[in-house]
Amino acid sequence: MEHKIEQKNQEHFLEVKDLTVYYTVSKVDTKAVNGVSFTLEKGQTLGLVGETGAGKTTIAKAILGILPVPPARLINGSIRFDGQTLTELPESEMLKIRGDKIAMIFQDPMTALNPVITVGDQISEVISLHNSVSKAEAKKQAGEMLEMVGIPASRYGEYPHQFSGGMKQRVVIAMALACDPDLLLADEPTTALDVTIQAQVLDMIRNLQQKNNTSMILITHDLGVVAQTCDNVAVVYAGEIIESGTKEDIFDHPTHPYTVGLFGAIPKLDDDEEWLHPIEGLPPDPPQLPEGCAFSPRCPYAGPECRQCSIPNTELTPGHFCRCVKLEKKEEQ
Amino acid sequence: MSTPCIEVKNLQKYFKVRNGFLHATDDVSFKIEKGKTMGIVGESGCGKSTLGRTIIHMHESTGGQIFYNGEDVTKVSHHGLKELRTHMQMVFQDPYSSLNPRFTVEQTIREPLQLTHKYTKAQIDDEVTQLMELCGVEERLRLAYPHEMDGGRRQRVGIARALALNPEFVVCDEPVSALDVSIQAQVLNLLKELQQKRGLTYMFVTHDLSVVRHISNNIGVMYLGQMVETSESKELFVQPLHPYTKALLSAIPSTDIHNQHERIILKGEITSPINPKPGCRFAARCPYATPECSKPQHLEEILPNHFVSCHRCKEINNL
Repeated sequence: MEHKIEQKNQEHFLEVKDLTVYYTVSKVDTKAVNGVSFTLEKGQTLGLVGETGAGKTTIAKAILGILPVPPARLINGSIRFDGQTLTELPESEMLKIRGDKIAMIFQDPMTALNPVITVGDQISEVISLHNSVSKAEAKKQAGEMLEMVGIPASRYGEYPHQFSGGMKQRVVIAMALACDPDLLLADEPTTALDVTIQAQVLDMIRNLQQKNNTSMILITHDLGVVAQTCDNVAVVYAGEIIESGTKEDIFDHPTHPYTVGLFGAIPKLDDDEEWLHPIEGLPPDPPQLPEGCAFSPRCPYAGPECRQCSIPNTELTPGHFCRCVKLEKKEEQ
Repeated sequence: MSTPCIEVKNLQKYFKVRNGFLHATDDVSFKIEKGKTMGIVGESGCGKSTLGRTIIHMHESTGGQIFYNGEDVTKVSHHGLKELRTHMQMVFQDPYSSLNPRFTVEQTIREPLQLTHKYTKAQIDDEVTQLMELCGVEERLRLAYPHEMDGGRRQRVGIARALALNPEFVVCDEPVSALDVSIQAQVLNLLKELQQKRGLTYMFVTHDLSVVRHISNNIGVMYLGQMVETSESKELFVQPLHPYTKALLSAIPSTDIHNQHERIILKGEITSPINPKPGCRFAARCPYATPECSKPQHLEEILPNHFVSCHRCKEINNL
């Protein structure tokens, strides 16, 4: 809490405001991200949770300025990072930030690495791009990065196909951390890995993060991973943050029917219920989002008022926000 | 005791590779009782899918025996296999690649029925309608192609196809791994419901431990082609005995934020399954390994119905 008060008068380390991104294909707009706002402080971890196609990766790509334009279009919104407005920076300035101050760990280690360049060279490339160091020095630092993620520096000259999935993921992490970024965007960093390797990788990310006081946005669909790693959580559904708060807010008092549904749908390790409680129906098709609350067609509590145009973002307790109409009704009663 | 639906004894499946043999499944034995679910868990590359595929004869076994309802079906003739396949079916992992993209839902489900040459066209149409209803595929999707459907519906079609010939035994190879959590729960409930309605016996292969605990009666844990522990499903989670199982279970990220358990972080990576040395294959990563571990290990009944393949098991667990 202390941390929050201290930050109150200052600017947030990262502030995303009203971010709206559309993908336009054949003149049809697909609303990938609809007015997403959140903040992140130094050294904190925010978990973005949601299903496939909810827009989580698009948010991360927008921050890093690597949206594929076209088809993507940044319709609205501003991203402020460490005193700079990223959305207004020219590409030449973004090039300096990317990889140096903000780095991204991509989801699929099999495709994130260049198959015809040795892993060591791929890491040293990042280092020499952002620092004025000699080739030998960059090589030495790259070797150190490999050691840091638990790969012997002697494997510097090997190619990605010579590594296992878990090791490739660690190479990707080493590359992202090579320049000590201030902000790390981790897009499903452990989804492609087995649980025991996942535990290793998560542990490693956390240690490095503590050491360098790095802020992180962790994108995942695994609530267990969120429980272990994040300070704050934002639940994304159909391009909107429908509930956000501290980890305790979301895990102890899930409020939005979708968040509640997500928790009900995962089999628990300490619970012997015979049937799971799935969320009925399917996520909406992004080009045809329903009016009002995008979750309303699947929501067991939905009524006509849910289809009104805008759903207010209600603050339940300080810092715990939820976007649901029914909630207000409950409070009024 | 009644005859188990499926019993495998010392089943082996080796693949020939350039520098020797890849031991995908090595000396695996277990039984599945009728109407029950056996979960097989393990990390990628441990041979759990190969095990399932070998049992239903998609791969020819290298050694060992497979019994179906007490009958040895290890070496069936071509004709016998055709008959056997009507009793054993499979639901595949990836509903995006396991359905023929040029077949409509109706064609996909109809194909196995046609191949038996036992039904008239009217009977087949009728059966397809019933199967679609049973698996929750809407009638309006009868003429839809796979690309027009989402993952959950495709997997329902895959399940309907597997059930078309009314099999007794179904191998489910990671049937929900490619699906989002909210859809995953729908498909898991469907599989359970079908088991109750039709008395199906499942072998459920997955790497997701909370899913396997939810759906299985018994669980087998595999490591590098070998079964290291088998037990009743709840018991395995309460009292894992093999060091690998302990590490595996402790690595599951729990959603309980207030009681985060101690995790055992394993060192190193899975070793190569090509020409493995005799003895425990987990020894290289095991915190309890001794030189004794290089001797061949076998599953032993440590507790009632709880088998473990580790010579130090009793010592480690103070039993």
